[in-house]
Amino acid sequence: MKRLISIALLLALSIVAFAADDKPAPAPATAGVSSNDHGDAVLKAMLAELKRSQDKLQLGQMQRPYYIDYQVTEIQDNIADATLGALRTEQVNNGRIVRVVVRIGDYKQDSYFGEGMGAVEAMPSDNDEIVLRRQLWLATDKAYKSALSGFTQKQAALKNVETESDLADFSEEKSSQSVHDVAKLNADLDKWKQTLRATSDLFRGDPNIEMSSAMLNFRVLNRYYVNTEGTVTRSGKTIYSLLFSGADQADDGMHIERSHGWVVVKPDELPKQDEINKEAKELINTFEVLKKAPLVEDDYRGPVLFSADAATSLFERLIVPNILGVRPDLGNPARTNGEFASYFKARVLPENFTVVDDPKAKEIDGQTLAGSYDVDDEGVEAQKVTVIDKGMLTNFLLGREPIRDFPHSNGHGRTALAGAPRPQISNLIFKADKGIPFDELKQKLIQMCKDQGRPYGYYVETTGAQLSPRLLWRVYVNDGHMELVRGAVFKQLDTRALRSDIVATGNDNYVYNRAEPLPSSIVGPSLLFGELEIQRANRTREKLPQYPAPALGTEKASN
Amino acid sequence: MSFFKSLFLSVLLSLFSSSALLAQATPEGQNDPVLLQTLQHELGRAMTSLSKADPAPYFISYSGNEEYNSVIVGTNGALMGSINRHDRTVDVSVRVGSRDLDNTHGENRFNAVTTASLPLEDRPDAISRVLWINTDRMYKKAVQGFLEIKTNTKVRAEEEDSSPDFSTEKPQIFIGKASTPPKFDQHEWEGRIRRLSAIFNKYPDIETSNVVLVVTDATRYFVSSEGSKLVDSRPLIRVLALGSTRSNDGMELARSETFDAATFDKLASEQEMASKIEKIAQDLQKLKKAPVVEPFNGPALLSGRAAAVFFHEVVGHRLEGQRQRGENEGQTFTKMVGQPVLPKFLSVEDDPTLVSLGGVELSGNYDYDEEGEKSRKVELISNGILKQFLMSRMPIKGFEQSNGHGRGQSGLMPVGRQGNLIVRSSKSVPDSQLRQELINEIKKQKKPFGLYFEDIAGGFTLTMRDMPQAFQVMPLMVWKVFPDGRPDQLVRGVNIIGTPLNALNRIVLTGQKQEVFNGECGAESGSVPVAAAAPAMLFSEIEVEKVQQGHERPPVLPPPGVEKAEVASQSNVKPEGR
Repeated sequence: MKRLISIALLLALSIVAFAADDKPAPAPATAGVSSNDHGDAVLKAMLAELKRSQDKLQLGQMQRPYYIDYQVTEIQDNIADATLGALRTEQVNNGRIVRVVVRIGDYKQDSYFGEGMGAVEAMPSDNDEIVLRRQLWLATDKAYKSALSGFTQKQAALKNVETESDLADFSEEKSSQSVHDVAKLNADLDKWKQTLRATSDLFRGDPNIEMSSAMLNFRVLNRYYVNTEGTVTRSGKTIYSLLFSGADQADDGMHIERSHGWVVVKPDELPKQDEINKEAKELINTFEVLKKAPLVEDDYRGPVLFSADAATSLFERLIVPNILGVRPDLGNPARTNGEFASYFKARVLPENFTVVDDPKAKEIDGQTLAGSYDVDDEGVEAQKVTVIDKGMLTNFLLGREPIRDFPHSNGHGRTALAGAPRPQISNLIFKADKGIPFDELKQKLIQMCKDQGRPYGYYVETTGAQLSPRLLWRVYVNDGHMELVRGAVFKQLDTRALRSDIVATGNDNYVYNRAEPLPSSIVGPSLLFGELEIQRANRTREKLPQYPAPALGTEKASN
Repeated sequence: MSFFKSLFLSVLLSLFSSSALLAQATPEGQNDPVLLQTLQHELGRAMTSLSKADPAPYFISYSGNEEYNSVIVGTNGALMGSINRHDRTVDVSVRVGSRDLDNTHGENRFNAVTTASLPLEDRPDAISRVLWINTDRMYKKAVQGFLEIKTNTKVRAEEEDSSPDFSTEKPQIFIGKASTPPKFDQHEWEGRIRRLSAIFNKYPDIETSNVVLVVTDATRYFVSSEGSKLVDSRPLIRVLALGSTRSNDGMELARSETFDAATFDKLASEQEMASKIEKIAQDLQKLKKAPVVEPFNGPALLSGRAAAVFFHEVVGHRLEGQRQRGENEGQTFTKMVGQPVLPKFLSVEDDPTLVSLGGVELSGNYDYDEEGEKSRKVELISNGILKQFLMSRMPIKGFEQSNGHGRGQSGLMPVGRQGNLIVRSSKSVPDSQLRQELINEIKKQKKPFGLYFEDIAGGFTLTMRDMPQAFQVMPLMVWKVFPDGRPDQLVRGVNIIGTPLNALNRIVLTGQKQEVFNGECGAESGSVPVAAAAPAMLFSEIEVEKVQQGHERPPVLPPPGVEKAEVASQSNVKPEGR
């Protein structure tokens, strides 16, 4: 039925196109397809099929494409997982996929809407030119036909809504040529599997822990991109993730989860076994402490200190989604989808904060950043963007879909696999003037609590899902000793709190590298909030296991 | 409470007796594989520990599945990719309540199993940990489910079929050989898949095609609290070829061919595969140009292969035990036991014990089903009279026991499914005469033509009550046969209409040679390998109409690489530079 309708729409469209336009179909963009395949078989096939499609693709008398792009993503995930010294998962997942976008209409108003947002097809792993082109041909045909439907859908939708601004659908940008080597896995997987066995074996140290594992994902991501504006890019990236985790329940049934991980771009930045052992043992030891830790019972409203690690999680949740220049749905007059839609040139952080997203930054404090690139996934050269200047929102991260007051991309259109590119962070760096050493921040916390007549303040070391604190400490004012507590949540920890309640910042940096949703980094200092609310978490507590866990043998020195 | 206590006692008693049996059969079990020993040990611990709980489980089973998979996918002479995997999973099944009413009752049946990944390496305590936490979770889920069911059955009206939820069966013990990772030359096979998939290059009208090799070596380690203990392995090698295209009016056309075997030496030769792939490619090319069928009601001949698929879909699925009991099932055959459902000369059996038929290996062969019951031959329809159903351990009215057809894929609750469905006939003529019989029938009915169904694809069988009682089979290759000696004419877009019972009673005659169709069957318990075998069949009447589907036009441009030859024939492409 849906198909019938779209066919009917298609026919209607072709009639409209005839009636409205006596001129011949618009000529393809003048820039044209590049002829330089850089000696690469994949690029060669892509350029050949792109050229053929640009020159010849037309259904009956309907509109020809004004723009086409091909993005080929090659992904290899090496995944392994071990529990209690035994390997549980070992997988290598390879894939090569293409996403084709065909646009009809023009930059001002086109078909990138509804069905018309591209087509995806599997690509051969063999570099056989004709077969590569075959899959591109199928995807291009699908994308072209969906573009025709998308254009009709868009015209129909426009009839039902008022559009305030006169924004173009697709920004015109300079073409790029940026061809880098493809990436290869550069790690000894067998050695790392052995590390997983050894690390997961350490969890025998606390036989009460219900579940535990050590896992890795070593990802290789290569990308080929060409468009009819003359852009040709190729890039390669590796992301090495290593993580161990455990889960247990306190006597009252409360779930206790802990994890520790590393995400690095270069294999030599992965931790050595000594470091892993140290971290794992520390983490394992916290289970016993956490299970016995007192529950947070009463509401607390007062000073709270966030480690730089916890602060980056805060920024990830409260700042990142709001600085992306994502255009709202048709007819919605807002500037963006995020909470900062109406905060342009307004203050969103304290005045001592400047936030820069810098895809060209390579490292900070000797640590390689995960979000670096030259050209984004829409073929636009990466730009350093000052998003927040002295606490004021001055810019958004933008792809090629303009938003009000921002007609051009700043090179932040990115996609993880074969999804549509959208604005994303690269390396988002939070810098604060007047930062002080962490110890001084802690002293300040104690002093504030003392002044307010409190026995203790709170220090958040790490957070879990939805910013629930995982390691939350009471810092006692009398002698500065710390006590781990559990069962707490923040109340009203929101963008307003970030704007108004930060009273001091550290001069430290935590580099939070992410592999998901795509390679990126968030860098920030520790934060002291003058006032935050902490209260008891009212989550349902599951019953403890009905019968005791099976006995564990002793830790075996694997290798 | 007293209800539970008596229940508890009876469960306990049956448990003791079965474990005594087990002890006799294998004194120590020390030579068992480590995984089996570990499953057994942890199962015992769970049963003992949970016997003190309220409600206590009366049945627990662990079904460990160790699987090595290799897949090579090719298209048009190039590899799309290959996968090599090794997985070890366990299905944990826990039943609380009693055999009469337990947590698997009704709709809740599919919540009565939980699946977890097990360590690939034989460290018993690491494996036990995973078993323990998942058994505990499954137990809690079972208790919750059971309490809900008890409340619901009190509230609801009496059910039509008040059979128990779980049959009583004798425990089975069989320690077979565990399978090892498949041994084959990956490189050589990659070359072969490239060559076979390249056959489609000769047919530029075919839009998409794949040739796939799947090698699966799976070993199942099964233990139950009733004392069953099984190790068996099921190797399957399959080459699958698929091609599809669209006619100019947008009708989707597809053909496929499978080659199954348990060992590489039994697999069809490359040459044999190549010629069959060549055939489906040619079929597609012919289909693309074939005219659309017009509505027709008259005599038809089904090839053995088409008849096999037809019986699998139309008869086999409706004979699955659980279809006779579910509130939402059509229950076509439920009340027809002992009554004629087919012409007298036809008999249908399902025989999973059969390894091959007429030299062809059968994919529905297995020794024990997924509930650990020994497979056996089941006479379903004898001389046209319905005798029994395909039974798992879920009883139905009049059929209290499993007959070894509880099948399903890992992670899903088994239900009654087909294995090797075999149709036999006592009214047959040599296959060479069938065509003449069809022509005679056409003449007798004074029809302008009859139909020859060369190939049919199976679809989803609609047996739910709120759907029409029509069977869903997709004829792929159908020919018009003329009584005056004109050559047969291929038609496309054929859709069979009518109800199954009616169609089945219009079979008038069969051929003698049984053709085998090996394939994969999907239903609520997942995908299982099956076979169906039947002779060619003459129907006095089959009603067909034009299929309603597909309006996407074929690609605008010709495929890359064949452009020059094709430009002229593509009316919607403007000739360039001329």
